[in-house]
Amino acid sequence: MTLLLNILVDGVAYGMVLFVMAVGLSITLGLMKFINLSHGAFAMAGGYGVAVLVGSHGCNFWAALLVALIATGVFGAALEALVLRHLYRRPELQQVLFTIGLTFFLVATANAIFGPQVRSISLPPSLSGSVDLGFRTLPTQRVFVLLAGVAAAALLTWIIARTRFGVWIRASVDHADAASGLGIPIRLVQCLSFGAGAALAGLGGVLGAELMPLEPYYPLKYLVLMLVVVAVGGMGSIPGSLCAALVLGTVDTASKYLVSEWGSLLFFVAMGLLLAWRPRGILTR
Amino acid sequence: MTTTAQAPAATEITRPRARAMPPPWRLPLATIAAAIVASLLWPDQLGLVSRVASTALLVLSLDLLVGYAGIATLGQAALFGVGAYGAGLFAQQVHGDPLLGLLVAAAAGACLAAASGAFLLRFEGFTLLMLTIAFAQILLSLASTFRGLTGGDDGLSDFTVSPILGLWEFDLEGRVGAIYAVAVLAAGLYLSRRVANSPFGLSIRGIHESRARMAALGTPVRQRLIGIYALSGMLAGVAGAVTAQINGIVGLDSLGFPLSAEALVMLVLGGAGNLSGSVIGASVFTLLHHTAASIDPYHWLFVIGIALMAVVLFPPAALAQKAWDRVRGTRKAAP
Amino acid sequence: MTLQPIRTLTIGASIACALACSPALAQTVKVGIVGPFSGPFAHYGALFKSAVEAYVQTQGGKLAGQSIEFIYRDTGGPNPSQTKTLAQELIVKDKVDYLGGFVFTPNALAVAPLIEKSKTPTVIFNAATSGITEKSDYFIRTSYTLSQVTVPLARWAADNKLSKVVTAVMDYGPGVDAEAAFKSAFAAKGGTVVESIRMPISTTDFAPFVQRIKASGAQAVYTFLPGGPPNLGFVKAYNDNGLAASGIRFLGTAETDEYDLEKFGDSALGLTTAFHYSAAHESAANKAFIAALHKRDPSAAANYATVGAWDGMYVIHKMIEATQGKRDGAAAIAAARKLSWESPRGPVRIDETSRHIVQNVYLRKVEKVDGKLANREVQNFGPQGDQRTATP
Repeated sequence: MTLLLNILVDGVAYGMVLFVMAVGLSITLGLMKFINLSHGAFAMAGGYGVAVLVGSHGCNFWAALLVALIATGVFGAALEALVLRHLYRRPELQQVLFTIGLTFFLVATANAIFGPQVRSISLPPSLSGSVDLGFRTLPTQRVFVLLAGVAAAALLTWIIARTRFGVWIRASVDHADAASGLGIPIRLVQCLSFGAGAALAGLGGVLGAELMPLEPYYPLKYLVLMLVVVAVGGMGSIPGSLCAALVLGTVDTASKYLVSEWGSLLFFVAMGLLLAWRPRGILTR
Repeated sequence: MTTTAQAPAATEITRPRARAMPPPWRLPLATIAAAIVASLLWPDQLGLVSRVASTALLVLSLDLLVGYAGIATLGQAALFGVGAYGAGLFAQQVHGDPLLGLLVAAAAGACLAAASGAFLLRFEGFTLLMLTIAFAQILLSLASTFRGLTGGDDGLSDFTVSPILGLWEFDLEGRVGAIYAVAVLAAGLYLSRRVANSPFGLSIRGIHESRARMAALGTPVRQRLIGIYALSGMLAGVAGAVTAQINGIVGLDSLGFPLSAEALVMLVLGGAGNLSGSVIGASVFTLLHHTAASIDPYHWLFVIGIALMAVVLFPPAALAQKAWDRVRGTRKAAP
Repeated sequence: MTLQPIRTLTIGASIACALACSPALAQTVKVGIVGPFSGPFAHYGALFKSAVEAYVQTQGGKLAGQSIEFIYRDTGGPNPSQTKTLAQELIVKDKVDYLGGFVFTPNALAVAPLIEKSKTPTVIFNAATSGITEKSDYFIRTSYTLSQVTVPLARWAADNKLSKVVTAVMDYGPGVDAEAAFKSAFAAKGGTVVESIRMPISTTDFAPFVQRIKASGAQAVYTFLPGGPPNLGFVKAYNDNGLAASGIRFLGTAETDEYDLEKFGDSALGLTTAFHYSAAHESAANKAFIAALHKRDPSAAANYATVGAWDGMYVIHKMIEATQGKRDGAAAIAAARKLSWESPRGPVRIDETSRHIVQNVYLRKVEKVDGKLANREVQNFGPQGDQRTATP
């Protein structure tokens, strides 16, 4: 019984990290049908931003988080407006090639600026230590990630479903030309959505830094992981990404508890089965 | 009625061209000639020639899928790795003859591809891409777990490969290895060109352009796709075997995602859909990596990253076409 | 249709120039250093480079009267086919006299047939799997092996009233070696390994394993981790999940490596490890080593990688001396097998049969020295060889 609870607790905590990192990619993939393999670079940028601001400049963690997220969002939006939007109509393989090249470039840049060493983020006292759940303890940081993930999912769903911007997004996804014909500023929607996706990735990078420490190779190392969550969850589906992340996170955690000699075999088998069962996304028929 | 002549969409690099089919001997001979020139220019770096040749064979196998059949996959390393481990285990357990090893690897690659293709090819697009990744990762996990058989991450190295046909031993300078790899590549290119020019190959191109139409014509689409997937698996397996035999060791990196991704990058770099692109892409990428890494290993990623982005933003095909037109002095004038 | 003649030709021409322009220097001893200079393990390459160049600098720029040329080649990660190509080029084209480096076992194994055929003495600065040196008579190793540092630790644990230990190792070659070494040595002294946990190499979240360790009822956990993010993750999980608080002792080897040590912060205090080198080792040789290293590269960490390269260069130095700068692999190896000297780590010698370094293994505890974390040596287990254990 404790084992089951342990699996659930750790699995959900891990899954939340995956969700926050991947949800931005799901949005951009679903919205703009643009394969952006450099998504991990935004996660890295957000993480490094906070690491540097807190570590080298002694800023307050929360202030640094806010600054880093805004900066990452702006960086993402700028990248989209200046470079990536020219590639929307290109074939998928060209998008793949370009964004891989971009990722290599950003990895090399991070290496040149920050050096090859792994960086960790020093957490504020409010996030250090553990929370006693009764049958076990859970690091406070994990609880924070859980809450942040849920908040992010709720906020995104609310924006998409209830705000005007959300309407614009949904219209642009369904039919970009008709939407622009109706006066919806497509370019602005795409740019802002991309920026938001980048900022979310940055948040994921910070939240996940306890598990996935920052290093220049970060975007390439965790690329497959993010793609898996997006694929299983369905492109553009926020509840799908959440569900996929939680399920896959729990499967991986269960595997570590029960049959860790099999490595990540169960994870990929689960992924394959889920994809085969629901190719369009775990919550879509 | 006036029509405005439009320049062909130079951005569609994966679109197979429906024009006169090149004779099957041209590309293999050109490749052999290029290899001979390279070997004469750089006689101390024949190991590099072998590496380029076996990589080109892998990229060629990918071209059949991506360029001709329109199946995007990031799991080609699974087939390469199966061929590599197959050849290595064959040399270790059964017989050290390299040509027999090639046959074993070819069979292994083809069978695995056919079996997995039967499942994977039910899907399309992004889903298929992700499933191929999953498949390769599952194989990687299995190879890593069964380290008694595969050597795990230490690699499979307890095997010796006998001299080819009992005469030519794999030497230190890599001469025999280079000739071997280039010969196998040339054979692979010939075979691929013959297949591409055949009615089967044409039907594959048709399936790429429109599955619905081909199905309407009565073509057994899934069968054909599994067929090309098996052929591709065979070539990838052979590429793996050549690498294993020349190097005398098979590592887990043969099944890894970076290998699949690099092969795809090389293919797109060289141009998919016409077979020569695989050789060009493999050569350019490997040589670029090798040179940049020798000059400054820390920052070679800058070079590659910028090169890749440049190739996409300013496609060589379009630029060359423009330059060619200007040289010829022809302009497409709107009547 | 690929009309890419112009672009391809330009690239091809520049590559041709780059490849053709290899400087031909006569009468220098060429040493090829093969290691990761890019990718997640790039710090190894940087550390090797700093150490070997610092060594030559302390010798006044020449070794045994010969000037030295280093050629660095990047292997990335474990990539045996690329390593073989690079080594082949170094041997055939660049005609190196010695090879050094090698972080990963498959990479070292890949070059074994080459160095055997070409009789090129090859010094392994890092790769720690026992069987490597057997693959060729031209391998010398100046790093360590897992059993070498683990067996004394297991014996110490048994002697210190730890009867139930759980092993948690990363599921790859060296980790499995470490687990086997610990189990057999510990059992030989009457201890029980209650559970053997294998952690997949791609693990980022160590919480499940920490929970398993807690549930195993062991008094201590013996761990082996490859360095970098997993080390950080595991030690954090060890502290954050209350393992330290519940009194389960941490027994490790390379996990508190000086390169990563500062990043752990105070959570690393008190961790017990057994290893062959600590930057806090009190000896004149060590002080000289650290001074020379930092003179060459102030940011280089004095750790097992740099000391492995430093001592590796010492061996190469002596081989050059023995052959008077001429290329004679057999004579060089014969001389190297008899070496014994005072290394920054303590007194060492090369074992004649296995060609592997025999060195002191120390028990260390992480403590704060002058405000920085250091591995303070608390016990010396004496000289240890490579004690091979049968892998299950």
